[in-house]
Amino acid sequence: MITIAEKINATIPSVKKIIETRDRGKLLELARTQSKAGADYLDVNVGTGTGSRQDEIDSMRWAVTMIQEEVETPLCIDSADPDVLAAGLAARDGRPALINSTKGSDEHLNKVVPLAREYGQPLVGLAMDEEGIPATVTARVAACSKIVSTCAENRVGMDNVFFDPLVLPVSTDVKQGLVTLETIRALKEQFQKAHIVMAVSNVSFGLPERRIFNTAFLHMAIFAGLDTAILDVLNPDLMGAIKTAEAIMGRDRHCRKYARFWRNR
Amino acid sequence: METQELLDRIAINVVQGRVEAEDEGFDEGFENQPAVIELVEEALENGISPSDILIKGLTSSMTVVGEKFETGEYLIPDMLASAEAVGAGMDILTPHLLKAGIESKGKFVIATVSGDLHDIGKNIVAIMLKGAGYEVVDLGVDVPASRIIETVKKHNAPYLGLSALLTTTMRNMDEVIDGLKEAGLRNQTKVCIGGAPTSQDFADQIGADKHCNDAFAVLDWLKAAA
Ligand code: B12
Repeated sequence: MITIAEKINATIPSVKKIIETRDRGKLLELARTQSKAGADYLDVNVGTGTGSRQDEIDSMRWAVTMIQEEVETPLCIDSADPDVLAAGLAARDGRPALINSTKGSDEHLNKVVPLAREYGQPLVGLAMDEEGIPATVTARVAACSKIVSTCAENRVGMDNVFFDPLVLPVSTDVKQGLVTLETIRALKEQFQKAHIVMAVSNVSFGLPERRIFNTAFLHMAIFAGLDTAILDVLNPDLMGAIKTAEAIMGRDRHCRKYARFWRNR
Repeated sequence: METQELLDRIAINVVQGRVEAEDEGFDEGFENQPAVIELVEEALENGISPSDILIKGLTSSMTVVGEKFETGEYLIPDMLASAEAVGAGMDILTPHLLKAGIESKGKFVIATVSGDLHDIGKNIVAIMLKGAGYEVVDLGVDVPASRIIETVKKHNAPYLGLSALLTTTMRNMDEVIDGLKEAGLRNQTKVCIGGAPTSQDFADQIGADKHCNDAFAVLDWLKAAA
Protein backbone atom coordinates (compact mmCIF):
# COMPACT_ATOMS: atom_id res chain seq x y z
CA MET A 1 0.00 0.00 0.00
CA ILE A 2 1.04 3.53 -0.77
CA THR A 3 0.09 6.05 1.91
CA ILE A 4 -0.55 9.75 1.39
CA ALA A 5 -0.51 11.88 4.54
CA GLU A 6 -3.48 14.21 4.64
CA LYS A 7 -2.65 16.79 7.28
CA ILE A 8 -1.09 19.63 5.28
CA ASN A 9 -4.44 20.86 4.08
CA ALA A 10 -5.53 24.46 4.42
CA THR A 11 -9.16 23.54 4.81
CA ILE A 12 -8.12 22.64 8.38
CA PRO A 13 -8.25 25.97 10.31
CA SER A 14 -4.89 25.52 12.09
CA VAL A 15 -3.19 24.76 8.77
CA LYS A 16 -4.90 27.70 7.10
CA LYS A 17 -3.21 29.91 9.68
CA ILE A 18 0.17 28.28 9.04
CA ILE A 19 -0.18 29.07 5.34
CA GLU A 20 -1.43 32.62 5.82
CA THR A 21 1.27 33.56 8.32
CA ARG A 22 3.98 31.61 6.45
CA ASP A 23 4.82 29.73 9.65
CA ARG A 24 7.75 27.67 8.41
CA GLY A 25 8.39 25.94 11.74
CA LYS A 26 4.87 24.57 12.12
CA LEU A 27 4.68 23.57 8.46
CA LEU A 28 7.88 21.57 8.78
CA GLU A 29 6.72 19.97 11.99
CA LEU A 30 3.64 18.66 10.18
CA ALA A 31 5.83 17.43 7.34
CA ARG A 32 8.36 15.74 9.62
CA THR A 33 5.94 13.92 11.92
CA GLN A 34 3.95 12.56 9.00
CA SER A 35 7.08 11.53 7.15
CA LYS A 36 8.38 9.75 10.25
CA ALA A 37 5.07 7.91 10.63
CA GLY A 38 5.82 6.24 7.30
CA ALA A 39 3.97 8.34 4.73
CA ASP A 40 4.96 7.65 1.12
CA TYR A 41 3.67 11.05 0.00
CA LEU A 42 2.80 14.23 1.87
CA ASP A 43 -0.32 15.87 0.51
CA VAL A 44 0.04 19.66 0.17
CA ASN A 45 -3.19 21.60 -0.25
CA VAL A 46 -2.85 25.32 0.39
CA GLY A 47 -6.26 26.48 -0.82
CA THR A 48 -7.47 28.60 2.10
CA GLY A 49 -10.73 29.38 0.35
CA THR A 50 -10.38 33.11 1.05
CA GLY A 51 -7.39 34.34 -0.95
CA SER A 52 -7.01 34.95 -4.67
CA ARG A 53 -5.70 32.48 -7.24
CA GLN A 54 -2.35 34.27 -7.13
CA ASP A 55 -2.30 33.83 -3.33
CA GLU A 56 -2.76 30.08 -3.72
CA ILE A 57 -0.02 29.94 -6.36
CA ASP A 58 2.39 31.82 -4.07
CA SER A 59 1.46 29.66 -1.09
CA MET A 60 2.02 26.46 -3.08
CA ARG A 61 5.47 27.63 -4.21
CA TRP A 62 6.35 28.57 -0.65
CA ALA A 63 5.11 25.31 0.90
CA VAL A 64 6.78 23.05 -1.67
CA THR A 65 10.09 24.91 -1.41
CA MET A 66 10.10 24.89 2.40
CA ILE A 67 9.14 21.25 2.84
CA GLN A 68 11.55 19.78 0.36
CA GLU A 69 14.47 21.68 1.89
CA GLU A 70 14.04 19.60 5.05
CA VAL A 71 12.04 16.46 4.32
CA GLU A 72 12.80 13.69 1.79
CA THR A 73 9.27 12.34 1.35
CA PRO A 74 7.77 13.10 -2.09
CA LEU A 75 4.85 15.51 -2.22
CA CYS A 76 1.31 15.10 -3.46
CA ILE A 77 0.52 18.48 -4.97
CA ASP A 78 -3.14 19.03 -4.32
CA SER A 79 -5.37 21.68 -5.86
CA ALA A 80 -8.53 21.97 -7.90
CA ASP A 81 -6.81 24.72 -9.90
CA PRO A 82 -4.47 23.55 -12.70
CA ASP A 83 -2.37 26.73 -12.44
CA VAL A 84 -1.67 26.01 -8.78
CA LEU A 85 -0.68 22.45 -9.69
CA ALA A 86 1.68 23.81 -12.34
CA ALA A 87 3.27 26.19 -9.84
CA GLY A 88 3.82 23.39 -7.33
CA LEU A 89 5.34 21.10 -9.95
CA ALA A 90 7.68 23.82 -11.18
CA ALA A 91 8.85 24.56 -7.64
CA ARG A 92 10.06 21.00 -7.11
CA ASP A 93 13.75 20.18 -6.96
CA GLY A 94 13.34 17.25 -9.36
CA ARG A 95 11.94 14.81 -6.84
CA PRO A 96 8.91 12.72 -7.82
CA ALA A 97 5.50 14.15 -7.01
CA LEU A 98 1.92 13.07 -7.40
CA ILE A 99 -0.44 15.50 -9.18
CA ASN A 100 -3.73 15.71 -7.30
CA SER A 101 -5.97 15.96 -9.34
CA THR A 102 -8.01 16.09 -12.51
CA LYS A 103 -11.61 15.14 -12.96
CA GLY A 104 -13.33 13.66 -15.99
CA SER A 105 -14.33 16.98 -17.56
CA ASP A 106 -12.73 18.31 -20.75
CA GLU A 107 -11.84 21.69 -19.34
CA HIS A 108 -9.89 20.14 -16.47
CA LEU A 109 -8.40 17.24 -18.36
CA ASN A 110 -6.98 19.42 -21.12
CA LYS A 111 -5.00 21.42 -18.60
CA VAL A 112 -3.94 18.81 -16.04
CA VAL A 113 -3.05 15.79 -18.18
CA PRO A 114 -0.50 17.81 -20.21
CA LEU A 115 1.16 18.71 -16.89
CA ALA A 116 1.59 15.01 -16.12
CA ARG A 117 3.09 14.62 -19.59
CA GLU A 118 5.36 17.67 -19.29
CA TYR A 119 6.74 16.83 -15.86
CA GLY A 120 6.64 13.06 -16.26
CA GLN A 121 4.79 12.63 -12.96
CA PRO A 122 1.76 10.49 -12.05
CA LEU A 123 -1.65 12.03 -11.54
CA VAL A 124 -4.84 11.39 -9.62
CA GLY A 125 -8.04 11.19 -11.67
CA LEU A 126 -11.31 11.70 -9.83
CA ALA A 127 -14.34 9.66 -10.87
CA MET A 128 -16.43 12.77 -11.48
CA ASP A 129 -17.64 14.67 -14.51
CA GLU A 130 -18.93 18.15 -15.38
CA GLU A 131 -22.01 17.62 -13.24
CA GLY A 132 -20.25 16.50 -10.10
CA ILE A 133 -19.98 13.13 -8.39
CA PRO A 134 -22.11 10.53 -10.18
CA ALA A 135 -24.39 8.43 -7.99
CA THR A 136 -23.83 5.17 -9.86
CA VAL A 137 -20.90 2.87 -10.48
CA THR A 138 -21.40 2.96 -14.26
CA ALA A 139 -21.26 6.74 -14.39
CA ARG A 140 -18.15 6.89 -12.19
CA VAL A 141 -16.38 4.37 -14.38
CA ALA A 142 -17.47 6.38 -17.45
CA ALA A 143 -15.84 9.50 -15.98
CA CYS A 144 -12.64 7.52 -15.49
CA SER A 145 -12.80 6.19 -19.06
CA LYS A 146 -12.76 9.77 -20.26
CA ILE A 147 -9.62 10.38 -18.22
CA VAL A 148 -8.11 7.29 -19.80
CA SER A 149 -8.70 8.61 -23.33
CA THR A 150 -7.10 11.96 -22.60
CA CYS A 151 -4.15 10.21 -20.98
CA ALA A 152 -3.76 8.01 -24.05
CA GLU A 153 -3.77 11.09 -26.31
CA ASN A 154 -1.07 12.64 -24.16
CA ARG A 155 0.89 9.39 -23.92
CA VAL A 156 0.54 9.21 -20.14
CA GLY A 157 0.72 5.51 -19.24
CA MET A 158 -1.93 3.81 -17.10
CA ASP A 159 0.67 2.95 -14.47
CA ASN A 160 0.96 6.70 -13.91
CA VAL A 161 -2.73 7.13 -13.18
CA PHE A 162 -4.31 6.89 -9.72
CA PHE A 163 -8.10 6.68 -9.96
CA ASP A 164 -10.10 8.01 -7.05
CA PRO A 165 -13.53 6.29 -6.95
CA LEU A 166 -14.68 9.00 -4.48
CA VAL A 167 -16.25 8.44 -1.12
CA LEU A 168 -19.52 9.93 0.08
CA PRO A 169 -20.90 9.64 3.61
CA VAL A 170 -22.93 6.51 4.27
CA SER A 171 -24.94 8.46 6.84
CA THR A 172 -26.66 10.47 4.10
CA ASP A 173 -27.02 7.67 1.55
CA VAL A 174 -26.65 4.14 2.77
CA LYS A 175 -25.77 2.84 -0.72
CA GLN A 176 -22.65 4.96 -1.02
CA GLY A 177 -20.22 2.59 0.69
CA LEU A 178 -21.02 -0.11 -1.81
CA VAL A 179 -20.92 2.29 -4.78
CA THR A 180 -17.32 3.17 -3.90
CA LEU A 181 -16.31 -0.46 -3.32
CA GLU A 182 -17.86 -1.62 -6.58
CA THR A 183 -16.31 1.29 -8.46
CA ILE A 184 -12.91 0.19 -7.14
CA ARG A 185 -13.50 -3.34 -8.32
CA ALA A 186 -14.73 -2.26 -11.75
CA LEU A 187 -11.82 0.15 -12.28
CA LYS A 188 -9.29 -2.47 -11.20
CA GLU A 189 -10.82 -4.93 -13.66
CA GLN A 190 -10.88 -2.56 -16.63
CA PHE A 191 -7.62 -0.72 -16.07
CA GLN A 192 -5.39 -3.29 -14.46
CA LYS A 193 -2.21 -1.22 -14.51
CA ALA A 194 -3.79 1.84 -12.92
CA HIS A 195 -3.64 2.54 -9.18
CA ILE A 196 -6.69 3.15 -7.04
CA VAL A 197 -6.52 5.85 -4.40
CA MET A 198 -9.10 7.01 -1.90
CA ALA A 199 -9.52 9.29 1.08
CA VAL A 200 -10.83 7.08 3.82
CA SER A 201 -12.52 9.13 6.50
CA ASN A 202 -15.35 10.76 4.55
CA VAL A 203 -17.33 7.52 4.62
CA SER A 204 -18.11 7.78 8.35
CA PHE A 205 -19.11 11.45 8.42
CA GLY A 206 -21.98 11.97 10.85
CA LEU A 207 -21.71 8.56 12.52
CA PRO A 208 -20.50 7.43 15.96
CA GLU A 209 -17.36 5.28 16.43
CA ARG A 210 -15.84 6.59 13.23
CA ARG A 211 -12.56 4.74 13.70
CA ILE A 212 -14.32 1.37 13.59
CA PHE A 213 -16.29 2.42 10.55
CA ASN A 214 -13.19 3.76 8.80
CA THR A 215 -11.00 0.71 9.44
CA ALA A 216 -13.73 -1.68 8.29
CA PHE A 217 -14.17 0.34 5.10
CA LEU A 218 -10.43 0.40 4.51
CA HIS A 219 -10.21 -3.40 4.85
CA MET A 220 -13.02 -3.88 2.36
CA ALA A 221 -11.60 -1.36 -0.08
CA ILE A 222 -8.18 -3.05 -0.02
CA PHE A 223 -9.85 -6.36 -0.75
CA ALA A 224 -11.66 -4.72 -3.68
CA GLY A 225 -8.38 -3.41 -5.13
CA LEU A 226 -7.43 -0.20 -3.36
CA ASP A 227 -3.64 0.20 -3.34
CA THR A 228 -3.21 3.80 -2.17
CA ALA A 229 -4.88 5.67 0.68
CA ILE A 230 -5.07 9.31 1.68
CA LEU A 231 -5.34 9.22 5.45
CA ASP A 232 -4.14 10.36 8.84
CA VAL A 233 -0.86 8.47 8.97
CA LEU A 234 -0.52 9.31 12.66
CA ASN A 235 -3.63 7.29 13.44
CA PRO A 236 -2.55 3.79 14.54
CA ASP A 237 -6.01 2.35 13.86
CA LEU A 238 -5.83 3.25 10.19
CA MET A 239 -2.16 2.42 9.67
CA GLY A 240 -2.74 -0.82 11.58
CA ALA A 241 -5.72 -1.58 9.36
CA ILE A 242 -3.49 -1.31 6.31
CA LYS A 243 -0.92 -3.71 7.78
CA THR A 244 -3.71 -6.10 8.77
CA ALA A 245 -5.26 -6.08 5.32
CA GLU A 246 -1.87 -6.55 3.64
CA ALA A 247 -1.18 -9.60 5.79
CA ILE A 248 -4.62 -11.08 5.16
CA MET A 249 -4.21 -10.46 1.42
CA GLY A 250 -1.01 -12.50 1.54
CA ARG A 251 1.26 -9.61 0.65
CA ASP A 252 3.26 -9.55 3.89
CA ARG A 253 5.66 -12.50 3.96
CA HIS A 254 5.91 -14.04 7.40
CA CYS A 255 3.65 -11.20 8.62
CA ARG A 256 6.83 -9.17 9.12
CA LYS A 257 5.34 -5.71 8.57
CA TYR A 258 2.24 -6.46 10.59
CA ALA A 259 4.20 -7.78 13.56
CA ARG A 260 6.79 -5.02 13.40
CA PHE A 261 4.12 -2.32 13.28
CA TRP A 262 2.66 -3.41 16.62
CA ARG A 263 6.05 -4.19 18.13
CA ASN A 264 7.25 -0.66 17.45
CA ARG A 265 4.28 1.02 19.11
CA MET B 1 35.21 -11.44 4.32
CA GLU B 2 37.09 -13.41 6.97
CA THR B 3 35.89 -16.93 7.78
CA GLN B 4 34.62 -16.05 11.24
CA GLU B 5 32.84 -12.94 10.02
CA LEU B 6 31.13 -14.90 7.27
CA LEU B 7 29.92 -17.60 9.64
CA ASP B 8 28.68 -14.92 12.05
CA ARG B 9 26.86 -13.15 9.26
CA ILE B 10 25.19 -16.41 8.24
CA ALA B 11 24.12 -16.97 11.85
CA ILE B 12 22.73 -13.43 12.14
CA ASN B 13 20.74 -13.89 8.95
CA VAL B 14 19.29 -17.17 10.18
CA VAL B 15 18.12 -15.37 13.31
CA GLN B 16 16.72 -12.58 11.12
CA GLY B 17 15.01 -15.22 8.98
CA ARG B 18 16.37 -13.96 5.66
CA VAL B 19 16.69 -16.39 2.74
CA GLU B 20 17.88 -14.01 0.02
CA ALA B 21 19.05 -10.44 -0.32
CA GLU B 22 15.65 -8.92 -1.11
CA ASP B 23 14.07 -10.35 2.07
CA GLU B 24 13.37 -8.16 5.01
CA GLY B 25 14.41 -9.42 8.42
CA PHE B 26 12.80 -9.46 11.82
CA ASP B 27 14.51 -6.12 12.43
CA GLU B 28 14.34 -3.22 10.05
CA GLY B 29 17.04 -2.22 7.60
CA PHE B 30 18.34 -5.54 6.27
CA GLU B 31 16.82 -5.32 2.78
CA ASN B 32 19.22 -5.82 -0.12
CA GLN B 33 22.10 -6.97 2.03
CA PRO B 34 23.42 -10.47 1.35
CA ALA B 35 21.34 -13.10 3.16
CA VAL B 36 21.75 -16.84 3.81
CA ILE B 37 21.87 -17.95 0.15
CA GLU B 38 24.42 -15.33 -0.89
CA LEU B 39 26.55 -15.78 2.23
CA VAL B 40 26.60 -19.59 2.09
CA GLU B 41 27.67 -19.40 -1.55
CA GLU B 42 30.41 -16.96 -0.66
CA ALA B 43 31.54 -19.20 2.20
CA LEU B 44 31.82 -22.18 -0.15
CA GLU B 45 33.77 -20.09 -2.66
CA ASN B 46 36.15 -19.08 0.13
CA GLY B 47 36.78 -22.74 0.82
CA ILE B 48 35.10 -22.95 4.22
CA SER B 49 34.12 -26.56 4.89
CA PRO B 50 30.44 -27.40 4.31
CA SER B 51 30.10 -28.94 7.77
CA ASP B 52 31.48 -25.78 9.43
CA ILE B 53 29.00 -23.70 7.46
CA LEU B 54 26.23 -26.08 8.50
CA ILE B 55 27.01 -26.21 12.18
CA LYS B 56 28.69 -22.92 13.06
CA GLY B 57 26.70 -20.84 10.60
CA LEU B 58 23.30 -22.32 9.92
CA THR B 59 22.09 -24.39 12.83
CA SER B 60 23.76 -23.16 16.02
CA SER B 61 21.74 -19.95 15.91
CA MET B 62 18.43 -21.83 16.01
CA THR B 63 18.94 -21.93 19.78
CA VAL B 64 18.77 -18.14 19.79
CA VAL B 65 15.57 -18.33 17.75
CA GLY B 66 14.10 -20.77 20.27
CA GLU B 67 14.99 -18.47 23.16
CA LYS B 68 13.45 -15.47 21.46
CA PHE B 69 10.27 -17.47 20.86
CA GLU B 70 10.19 -18.55 24.48
CA THR B 71 10.42 -14.97 25.76
CA GLY B 72 7.64 -13.94 23.41
CA GLU B 73 9.86 -11.68 21.31
CA TYR B 74 9.50 -13.97 18.28
CA LEU B 75 6.18 -15.12 16.91
CA ILE B 76 5.51 -18.33 15.01
CA PRO B 77 6.06 -16.75 11.57
CA ASP B 78 9.44 -15.50 12.79
CA MET B 79 10.45 -19.06 13.77
CA LEU B 80 9.20 -20.25 10.42
CA ALA B 81 11.24 -17.61 8.59
CA SER B 82 14.38 -18.78 10.38
CA ALA B 83 13.60 -22.41 9.59
CA GLU B 84 13.16 -21.44 5.94
CA ALA B 85 16.52 -19.69 5.95
CA VAL B 86 18.24 -22.80 7.35
CA GLY B 87 16.45 -24.95 4.76
CA ALA B 88 17.63 -22.70 1.91
CA GLY B 89 21.21 -22.92 3.17
CA MET B 90 20.98 -26.69 3.49
CA ASP B 91 19.74 -27.00 -0.09
CA ILE B 92 22.98 -25.39 -1.25
CA LEU B 93 25.16 -27.43 1.09
CA THR B 94 23.57 -30.84 0.47
CA PRO B 95 25.46 -31.75 -2.73
CA HIS B 96 28.71 -30.72 -1.04
CA LEU B 97 27.98 -32.84 2.01
CA LEU B 98 27.22 -35.93 -0.04
CA LYS B 99 30.20 -37.87 -1.23
CA ALA B 100 29.29 -39.35 -4.58
CA GLY B 101 29.48 -43.01 -5.46
CA ILE B 102 30.17 -44.74 -2.17
CA GLU B 103 28.88 -48.23 -1.63
CA SER B 104 25.70 -48.36 0.45
CA LYS B 105 26.20 -49.13 4.10
CA GLY B 106 22.55 -50.10 4.44
CA LYS B 107 19.11 -48.60 4.58
CA PHE B 108 18.22 -46.01 7.21
CA VAL B 109 14.57 -45.01 7.64
CA ILE B 110 14.09 -41.64 9.29
CA ALA B 111 10.97 -39.69 10.29
CA THR B 112 9.61 -36.99 12.52
CA VAL B 113 6.90 -38.66 14.56
CA SER B 114 3.17 -38.09 14.39
CA GLY B 115 1.94 -34.64 15.46
CA ASP B 116 5.34 -33.00 15.05
CA LEU B 117 6.28 -30.67 12.19
CA HIS B 118 9.89 -29.89 13.10
CA ASP B 119 12.27 -31.20 10.48
CA ILE B 120 15.44 -29.12 10.46
CA GLY B 121 17.32 -31.42 12.82
CA LYS B 122 16.03 -34.57 11.14
CA ASN B 123 17.05 -33.22 7.73
CA ILE B 124 20.57 -32.54 8.93
CA VAL B 125 20.86 -36.06 10.28
CA ALA B 126 19.52 -37.42 6.97
CA ILE B 127 22.04 -35.47 4.93
CA MET B 128 24.96 -36.52 7.13
CA LEU B 129 23.85 -40.14 6.88
CA LYS B 130 23.66 -39.92 3.10
CA GLY B 131 27.08 -38.34 3.11
CA ALA B 132 28.41 -41.25 5.14
CA GLY B 133 27.05 -43.75 2.61
CA TYR B 134 23.71 -44.84 4.05
CA GLU B 135 20.66 -45.21 1.83
CA VAL B 136 18.25 -42.88 3.58
CA VAL B 137 14.49 -43.28 3.31
CA ASP B 138 13.14 -39.98 4.64
CA LEU B 139 9.43 -40.12 5.43
CA GLY B 140 9.14 -36.44 6.32
CA VAL B 141 7.19 -34.96 9.22
CA ASP B 142 4.06 -35.89 11.15
CA VAL B 143 4.41 -39.54 10.16
CA PRO B 144 2.01 -42.01 11.79
CA ALA B 145 3.55 -45.00 13.52
CA SER B 146 1.85 -47.41 11.11
CA ARG B 147 3.56 -45.82 8.11
CA ILE B 148 6.96 -45.92 9.76
CA ILE B 149 6.54 -49.60 10.53
CA GLU B 150 5.31 -50.43 7.03
CA THR B 151 8.33 -48.69 5.55
CA VAL B 152 10.82 -50.46 7.79
CA LYS B 153 9.20 -53.72 6.79
CA LYS B 154 9.10 -52.95 3.08
CA HIS B 155 12.80 -52.00 2.96
CA ASN B 156 13.88 -54.54 5.49
CA ALA B 157 15.78 -51.65 7.02
CA PRO B 158 18.40 -52.38 9.68
CA TYR B 159 18.21 -48.82 11.05
CA LEU B 160 15.41 -46.48 12.10
CA GLY B 161 15.76 -42.90 13.35
CA LEU B 162 12.96 -41.00 15.05
CA SER B 163 12.82 -37.28 15.66
CA ALA B 164 10.58 -35.22 17.96
CA LEU B 165 10.97 -31.63 19.13
CA LEU B 166 7.91 -31.33 21.33
CA THR B 167 7.48 -32.78 24.78
CA THR B 168 3.99 -33.73 23.68
CA THR B 169 5.03 -35.66 20.56
CA MET B 170 8.09 -37.48 21.92
CA ARG B 171 5.58 -39.79 23.59
CA ASN B 172 4.56 -41.00 20.14
CA MET B 173 7.94 -42.71 19.74
CA ASP B 174 6.71 -45.24 22.23
CA GLU B 175 4.00 -46.35 19.87
CA VAL B 176 6.48 -46.87 17.03
CA ILE B 177 8.66 -49.15 19.13
CA ASP B 178 5.68 -51.15 20.34
CA GLY B 179 4.51 -51.48 16.74
CA LEU B 180 7.90 -52.76 15.67
CA LYS B 181 7.74 -55.40 18.37
CA GLU B 182 4.24 -56.45 17.33
CA ALA B 183 5.35 -56.73 13.70
CA GLY B 184 8.27 -58.87 14.81
CA LEU B 185 10.79 -56.36 13.48
CA ARG B 186 12.32 -55.09 16.68
CA ASN B 187 15.22 -57.54 16.74
CA GLN B 188 16.38 -56.85 13.20
CA THR B 189 16.04 -53.05 13.39
CA LYS B 190 18.19 -50.78 15.53
CA VAL B 191 16.38 -47.66 16.67
CA CYS B 192 17.91 -44.33 17.58
CA ILE B 193 16.04 -41.23 18.62
CA GLY B 194 16.82 -37.52 18.69
CA GLY B 195 15.43 -34.03 19.08
CA ALA B 196 15.88 -31.49 21.86
CA PRO B 197 13.48 -32.84 24.52
CA THR B 198 14.65 -36.46 24.23
CA SER B 199 17.41 -38.02 26.31
CA GLN B 200 19.18 -41.32 26.91
CA ASP B 201 16.92 -41.86 29.93
CA PHE B 202 13.90 -41.45 27.72
CA ALA B 203 15.39 -43.80 25.13
CA ASP B 204 15.86 -46.44 27.82
CA GLN B 205 12.36 -45.88 29.09
CA ILE B 206 10.69 -46.56 25.74
CA GLY B 207 13.13 -49.27 24.74
CA ALA B 208 15.02 -47.49 21.97
CA ASP B 209 18.63 -48.52 21.40
CA LYS B 210 20.21 -45.11 21.52
CA HIS B 211 19.65 -41.40 22.02
CA CYS B 212 21.80 -39.11 19.88
CA ASN B 213 22.52 -35.47 20.66
CA ASP B 214 23.42 -34.63 17.11
CA ALA B 215 24.26 -36.04 13.70
CA PHE B 216 27.82 -36.88 14.67
CA ALA B 217 26.61 -39.01 17.55
CA VAL B 218 24.55 -41.07 15.09
CA LEU B 219 27.58 -41.73 12.94
CA ASP B 220 29.67 -42.77 15.96
CA TRP B 221 26.90 -45.06 17.12
CA LEU B 222 26.54 -46.63 13.67
CA LYS B 223 30.28 -47.16 13.43
CA ALA B 224 30.27 -48.91 16.80
CA ALA B 225 27.17 -50.94 15.90
CA ALA B 226 28.51 -52.13 12.55
C1 B12 C 1 12.10 -23.84 14.00
C2 B12 C 1 11.08 -24.17 15.06
C3 B12 C 1 9.75 -24.31 14.67
C4 B12 C 1 9.31 -24.27 13.21
C5 B12 C 1 9.65 -25.64 12.58
C6 B12 C 1 9.96 -25.54 11.10
C7 B12 C 1 10.66 -26.74 10.59
N1 B12 C 1 10.58 -26.90 9.30
O1 B12 C 1 11.29 -27.51 11.30
C8 B12 C 1 7.78 -24.03 13.36
C9 B12 C 1 7.49 -22.55 13.28
C10 B12 C 1 6.88 -24.76 12.34
C11 B12 C 1 7.52 -24.47 14.78
C12 B12 C 1 6.25 -24.75 15.25
C13 B12 C 1 5.98 -25.06 16.57
N2 B12 C 1 6.88 -25.04 17.60
CO1 B12 C 1 8.78 -24.92 17.37
N3 B12 C 1 10.61 -24.55 17.38
C14 B12 C 1 11.48 -24.30 16.43
C15 B12 C 1 12.86 -24.03 17.05
C16 B12 C 1 13.05 -22.51 17.11
C17 B12 C 1 14.07 -24.61 16.37
C18 B12 C 1 14.08 -26.12 16.16
C19 B12 C 1 15.26 -26.45 15.30
O2 B12 C 1 15.12 -26.54 14.09
N4 B12 C 1 16.47 -26.52 15.89
C20 B12 C 1 17.74 -26.69 15.17
C21 B12 C 1 18.03 -28.18 14.90
C22 B12 C 1 19.33 -28.30 14.14
O3 B12 C 1 18.16 -28.80 16.15
P1 B12 C 1 17.34 -30.11 16.58
O4 B12 C 1 16.03 -30.11 15.93
O5 B12 C 1 17.40 -30.24 18.02
O6 B12 C 1 18.16 -31.30 15.90
C23 B12 C 1 19.44 -31.75 16.29
C24 B12 C 1 19.41 -32.77 17.42
O7 B12 C 1 18.30 -32.67 18.26
C25 B12 C 1 19.50 -34.08 16.75
N5 B12 C 1 18.29 -34.71 16.21
C26 B12 C 1 17.09 -34.18 15.88
N6 B12 C 1 16.31 -35.10 15.37
C27 B12 C 1 16.99 -36.24 15.33
C28 B12 C 1 16.63 -37.49 14.89
C29 B12 C 1 17.54 -38.54 15.00
C30 B12 C 1 17.18 -39.87 14.50
C31 B12 C 1 18.80 -38.29 15.56
C32 B12 C 1 19.74 -39.41 15.69
C33 B12 C 1 19.17 -37.05 16.00
C34 B12 C 1 18.27 -36.02 15.87
O8 B12 C 1 20.35 -33.81 15.69
C35 B12 C 1 20.01 -32.54 15.14
C36 B12 C 1 21.22 -31.95 14.48
O9 B12 C 1 22.25 -31.65 15.40
C37 B12 C 1 12.68 -24.69 18.47
C38 B12 C 1 13.55 -24.08 19.58
C39 B12 C 1 14.86 -24.83 19.75
N7 B12 C 1 15.87 -24.09 20.06
O10 B12 C 1 14.94 -26.04 19.60
C40 B12 C 1 11.19 -24.47 18.71
C41 B12 C 1 10.44 -25.40 19.65
C42 B12 C 1 10.90 -26.84 19.45
N8 B12 C 1 9.05 -25.24 19.21
C43 B12 C 1 8.20 -25.20 20.20
C44 B12 C 1 6.80 -25.04 20.06
C45 B12 C 1 6.00 -24.89 21.33
C46 B12 C 1 6.19 -25.03 18.79
C47 B12 C 1 4.68 -24.93 18.51
C48 B12 C 1 3.79 -25.78 19.39
C49 B12 C 1 4.29 -23.46 18.56
C50 B12 C 1 2.81 -23.19 18.48
N9 B12 C 1 2.31 -22.60 19.55
O11 B12 C 1 2.17 -23.48 17.51
C51 B12 C 1 4.60 -25.38 17.03
C52 B12 C 1 4.34 -26.89 16.92
C53 B12 C 1 4.18 -27.36 15.52
C54 B12 C 1 4.20 -28.84 15.45
N10 B12 C 1 3.02 -29.48 15.48
O12 B12 C 1 5.25 -29.45 15.38
C55 B12 C 1 8.90 -25.38 21.53
C56 B12 C 1 8.70 -26.78 22.14
C57 B12 C 1 8.42 -26.73 23.62
C58 B12 C 1 8.16 -28.07 24.20
N11 B12 C 1 8.57 -28.19 25.43
O13 B12 C 1 7.62 -28.96 23.61
C59 B12 C 1 10.37 -24.99 21.18
C60 B12 C 1 11.43 -25.68 22.05
C61 B12 C 1 10.46 -23.47 21.32
C62 B12 C 1 10.33 -22.96 22.75
N12 B12 C 1 11.45 -22.66 23.36
O14 B12 C 1 9.25 -22.84 23.26
N13 B12 C 1 8.68 -24.51 15.51
